[in-house]
Amino acid sequence: MNAPSRIGEVMALDRLVHEPARLLILAVLANAKEVEFRFLEQVSGLSKGNLSSHMSKLEAGGLVEVKKSFRGKRPLTELRITAAGRKALADYRQSLAMVMRELPTPGVVAKRK
Amino acid sequence: MVGGMQERLCELESLTRDYARYSRSAGGLASVLGGVFCLSSYLLGGLLPLTPLLRIGLVALPLVWLLARWSMVHRYYQRLGHVEEQEGTAEHRTHRLCVGVTLVVAALQTVSALMHGVQPSPGVTAYLALVWLLVLAGWRWLRSPLDFVVGVFLFCQAALLCVGRVYPVIGTSAALDALPMELLALLFPLAALLMVARGMADHRRFLQLRERLLRLRNAVAGES
Repeated sequence: MNAPSRIGEVMALDRLVHEPARLLILAVLANAKEVEFRFLEQVSGLSKGNLSSHMSKLEAGGLVEVKKSFRGKRPLTELRITAAGRKALADYRQSLAMVMRELPTPGVVAKRK
Repeated sequence: MVGGMQERLCELESLTRDYARYSRSAGGLASVLGGVFCLSSYLLGGLLPLTPLLRIGLVALPLVWLLARWSMVHRYYQRLGHVEEQEGTAEHRTHRLCVGVTLVVAALQTVSALMHGVQPSPGVTAYLALVWLLVLAGWRWLRSPLDFVVGVFLFCQAALLCVGRVYPVIGTSAALDALPMELLALLFPLAALLMVARGMADHRRFLQLRERLLRLRNAVAGES
């Protein structure tokens, strides 16, 4: 594959999914029916604010659904991935795998030069 | 860097799936408790004289079990936050079928009681209430086949106790016509033994999962 098409593939990666924190959130949500915000906070290591900001972006993009309610007096936020979110994650993985396959190894590039 | 990220994502995905199991298909110590309750209800109900205290205790068992199960999930197995397990199409269909059967049985029991002009008494009312409660419990909490079998026994035994009867223990009756019911009832303690074994295996898996979670949280804390 030539260089311009490789660049095209890299550019075609979904930026909404490509960000590591959002990718991590989607990967967790894709493996459960519904996830409490508290669990994501614990396993991602992100701060509440940071996590909320990423969640808002994913929600605005239609990739996740956010449900807010109360358990007793405590606020409860539950998240679930949408069908569009699952598709976006699968497409992203496929695109990334393709880019990685086509990426030349450093040794090979050096020999060519 | 991409390899490291990929590895971390894979571990996180596997960890999420394993953790989510404890919301639905894995009961751990709650399954062990359910199995022990089922065996106790079968043996104590069938072998001991039914004193009022014993009857109250056995009638309360299914409710105590469901409460203990809910408490264990939220306070022990999923204390980092609730994660609901995904349900496959086959599991979903099986569950709907099981709940449908309990719904039909509850409806038939109620219609039969009305048609035969059974006199309303506290015992009969409690019997019907427990039969309908089983439908609700089956739909909401008894998600795996073993949970369902054990739950059905606990509720049905409790309902029978309300009208002064119990499932017969095998070999306790000399009458030949009691044998089919005794053999049918034998399924429940066998399911209970399986449930205890499965619950212990799930609990061991949870202890390993807890270690993995701890390692992940330490790694995450180290990064930030």
